[in-house]
Amino acid sequence: MSEKIRLENISVAQHAENWQEAIRLSGELLVRCGSITPKYVESMIESVNTLGPYIVMMPHFALAHAAPCEDVKVSDMSIVTFKEGVNFNTDKDPVTIVMTLACTDKQAHIERLQSIAMKLMEEGMVEHMAECQSAEELYHLIND
Amino acid sequence: MKVPKIQTVCGFGCGSSLMLKMNVEAIAKNHGFQMEAFCGDVGTCCSNQCDVIFISKELSERIIGRATVPVVVINNFMDKKEVEAKTLEYFETLK
Repeated sequence: MSEKIRLENISVAQHAENWQEAIRLSGELLVRCGSITPKYVESMIESVNTLGPYIVMMPHFALAHAAPCEDVKVSDMSIVTFKEGVNFNTDKDPVTIVMTLACTDKQAHIERLQSIAMKLMEEGMVEHMAECQSAEELYHLIND
Repeated sequence: MKVPKIQTVCGFGCGSSLMLKMNVEAIAKNHGFQMEAFCGDVGTCCSNQCDVIFISKELSERIIGRATVPVVVINNFMDKKEVEAKTLEYFETLK
């Protein structure tokens, strides 16, 4: 399996005051490499405001995303872990991992997302990911 | 038994619903059930033709009452045990 998430799109042991900041930190990685525009980051936050914290799809793990749109230049993913958990106001708090998903359409990212889903279903995987001390360590955990 | 068409739903039909769809497909395969699954978004899922909707607890409140098919509420999309129990429970109702 090829690389799921690039090293430069991974950041560990971050700190966020609130869930909006957590999403911004994760989205920022994709803005920096040109995969999305800053507007996409605001759309992700807006979607939680509108639809609620359903993006926390499993305990301690949020999959932030908005609808495929022109603010996505390249389908891409990033992941940020937080030293202290962030509250999204759900029963799956505190969130220690925010993954950002940006897709140009509903198909482009499927294979990569599926291989990440396989990882996430492994027992204790979210805890392992959150404990990684460096981006390299998390990179290998996700991609190996 | 007819082949059920399962719609897995999240906010936009391309993120967590895809993960849930994979999970449901794997379970059906393991148990030898025939089914079809596709992803939908919470805004339009009630008008997509299907036999059942699988959706997160947080989003379910938006469609319960509007959906004309059974709604299966999943708390943790990645919890194999929960998804398996609820998928099998649904298949039981088809017998």
